[in-house]
Amino acid sequence: MGFMSFCQRLSETGFSKHLREAPYDFPILIILHILTIALFGGMVVMGNLRVLGLALRSVPVSEVIGQFRPWKWTAFGLLLVSGTLLALSDPVEYGGNIMFWISNVLLLVAGLNALIFHWGAYQSVEAWGSAPRAPRSARRWATVSLFLWIILVFAGRAIAFF
Amino acid sequence: MFLVQILADVSGRVPLNPIARWEWVFPVVEAIHICGFALLVGSIVIVDLRLLGVSLSSQPVSRLAKELSPWIWTGIIIQLTTGPYLFSGDPSEYVQIAAFRNKMLFLFVALVFHFTAIRKATASSTDSAPLGWRRPVALVSLALWFCVLLAGLWIGNL
Repeated sequence: MGFMSFCQRLSETGFSKHLREAPYDFPILIILHILTIALFGGMVVMGNLRVLGLALRSVPVSEVIGQFRPWKWTAFGLLLVSGTLLALSDPVEYGGNIMFWISNVLLLVAGLNALIFHWGAYQSVEAWGSAPRAPRSARRWATVSLFLWIILVFAGRAIAFF
Repeated sequence: MFLVQILADVSGRVPLNPIARWEWVFPVVEAIHICGFALLVGSIVIVDLRLLGVSLSSQPVSRLAKELSPWIWTGIIIQLTTGPYLFSGDPSEYVQIAAFRNKMLFLFVALVFHFTAIRKATASSTDSAPLGWRRPVALVSLALWFCVLLAGLWIGNL
């Protein structure tokens, strides 16, 4: 069975039909999705700007990143759930949409980038975190992260146009 | 007058405003608008969460607010540039949409609230005082920005 026929089958399930046809489900999911993007993205961006030494310079990096971690992950969880449900509401449309897949790959790359930072430069944050500006390796990570998130918003918005 | 007539005539057939002329301009500007919103909300939420007493409690409120202020301004400038430009694509259509009028109302109230109540709540003279009345102020701020987002999403009919 090809991937598109799998999407076809998926879209014929009662659950997918419900998501597509119920009057309020889709708008509520979109609102939740964008709201959590704003929250999660906003916090990621502020963390990146802190590492780059462009914002909150007097607050240690570990505090900026550590204190917002629970909020960030709550937002990310809701972001994933709402995103999955939105995709399930029309599997044929999204499964065949190149921008949908590009967005997902970008999200994965952003996640890998975050892990690299967490296991790399962040391990020694106590040593450098109080300085206004982080060492080069951490700044490089933050630049890539900022760039990825901006591209991701553009790619995500473009889903509706492909 | 002659020139105005020609311009009006030309723009009647070929819109001069790029956003009305090319299909791709709108989503691109809109994506910048979404990035600007994330930046604005990200920096405002940090101040609000601090005022609620849930995060960065070891940092003085006034210093946080002062350090975030350039980013809040950057966000406001991005939004007040891209927003009106999105509006310019079809002004007569937007003014008829209830969600658009609601968004402008919420935005106005949120901005006024930010530069009055939030500014007062983040004044350096209050740094050593208990949070008290500043907690509900932060909640109102969060609610107002949420309403701006909600009404904004509704404009595009979701």
